[in-house]
Amino acid sequence: MNNLNLLIPSILEDYIATVELPWRIKERGLDSELIFRYGAYVGSVIRVYPSLVRAMDTAREHISTHEKSGKPIANGSLILASSLSLSKGRFDRSWHAPPGGLWGCLLIADTFLPQFRNYLALIPGIACCEALHRAGASTSHIRWVNDVLVEGKKQAGFLIEGFCSPVYKENYHLLGFGLNINNDSFPVELQETAVSLAQVLGHPIELASFALSFLAKLRYYIGLLLYEEEQWLACGGGDEYLGEHPLIKRWKELSDTLGKRVQFGYDVVRNPQYMALATGITADGGLVLEHADATCSVEHSGEIRYCHE
Amino acid sequence: MSNEIDFDEILGKYRSDPFDYVDIHASHTGKVRFLVKEGDTVDAVTGEWKHIPGTVLFEITRERNPKKVTAMTNGVISNLCEELEGKFVEAGEKLMTIRHPLKKKEIIESILQEVLYIFPAPERAKYFFSLDVQSRIDKKGAREVSVKPGDDIIIMSLMKRDTPVYYRGVQGVIHSVYFKPGVSVDQGAPLIGVCPTDKLPLIEKIITRVKADWDNKD
Repeated sequence: MNNLNLLIPSILEDYIATVELPWRIKERGLDSELIFRYGAYVGSVIRVYPSLVRAMDTAREHISTHEKSGKPIANGSLILASSLSLSKGRFDRSWHAPPGGLWGCLLIADTFLPQFRNYLALIPGIACCEALHRAGASTSHIRWVNDVLVEGKKQAGFLIEGFCSPVYKENYHLLGFGLNINNDSFPVELQETAVSLAQVLGHPIELASFALSFLAKLRYYIGLLLYEEEQWLACGGGDEYLGEHPLIKRWKELSDTLGKRVQFGYDVVRNPQYMALATGITADGGLVLEHADATCSVEHSGEIRYCHE
Repeated sequence: MSNEIDFDEILGKYRSDPFDYVDIHASHTGKVRFLVKEGDTVDAVTGEWKHIPGTVLFEITRERNPKKVTAMTNGVISNLCEELEGKFVEAGEKLMTIRHPLKKKEIIESILQEVLYIFPAPERAKYFFSLDVQSRIDKKGAREVSVKPGDDIIIMSLMKRDTPVYYRGVQGVIHSVYFKPGVSVDQGAPLIGVCPTDKLPLIEKIITRVKADWDNKD
């Protein structure tokens, strides 16, 4: 299955029922069937385009035009494109998105409680890393917050941008994703730092099959976020979430950040701020950084690079 | 905001009591144990990255999970609620006040914050201007950039999630910017101070007058 056009919601449902759910039940122990029901809206509508300028822009346009024409917007709608001509990462960094990769944007209405919203950023990295492991790239890891690296090179990047709809003022999270799958050439400036799954495995893989695996995991973990919210509310809620959220636990299992010496910066490429040792992650996802004088700071936004990079 | 300002009254207020009174509240429910006494001098958080904690003020324990709370500002402890020692408190309950001595720059800021429209941070996060606003600031300077309600002027960045923050307040120019890119801003802390264009001369007059008066009397 190499054609993204084959990705329709019913195929995703089948994949979850026959592959993902049995694996979840066997491996992870939580009430996976219920969790999948909480996340069922993810990928309930899938639109595949041959090419787009930017998937995030298409998502904004989709929300705006639907609202203005009085049509409903399906929460969890997914926009996929075979290639993007002007995709970008954070700040004004360009992102190379030729045919062969998995490029797109997921529209998520902001229905999350404030205490849980931070965990959303952890989800795409976890889903991607799990899908890579399943595909055979067992050396893939998450670098805080959600970059996915394979053998030290960036295989996938994610970006979440907020958007307030023009008519009804609904807040949306636009989760943009870019996964290097079968694309095997990168611009000169990215050749040392980027890698595709095909390069890692030494052979091309079925793009739509990988996409199914990734989307099924996105659905599961968004479901898990909502499931945990409900559990927390049922126990009385409160000012903050106590204990270790299962998303934090899973992130720790898949990340290689803790214990590494890192360069931190809000825009670490253009303006690295300081070097420190990543010693932990707080209950709400912040990165604990230990300085040379043994004092610690906690960063909730910004980015890191490992010092050997 | 009136065009007439009683400078003597404002300056007199700060002359007679050049302090800010920062109330410290319980961050969440729990049992409180004070680690300072009435009249103690406390240090603020310091360090280039604000990573060296200030003086430990109290410990609050919830579900056998003790958390030490440190001072964010320097000053002297006053109004310590000693009757709460060892007691269970609710989130938001006032525990003490730090009497913080104001510097000239802080006094000017304090006065300005009374006369400007202050747009606060919706969450503890890092903030930066939207690309369009930043390019206008780069070209002309913030005080030439006007904002009106509904403009998406600032981006809030939290856990690699960038959310536009829509301005709500009076129409005017950006007079003061209180955040730096890459530095976290607490929820409720000021992000920008906005001044209606016709009030700009008055604001400039306040700054000049406070600076001159304070320097003369120092």
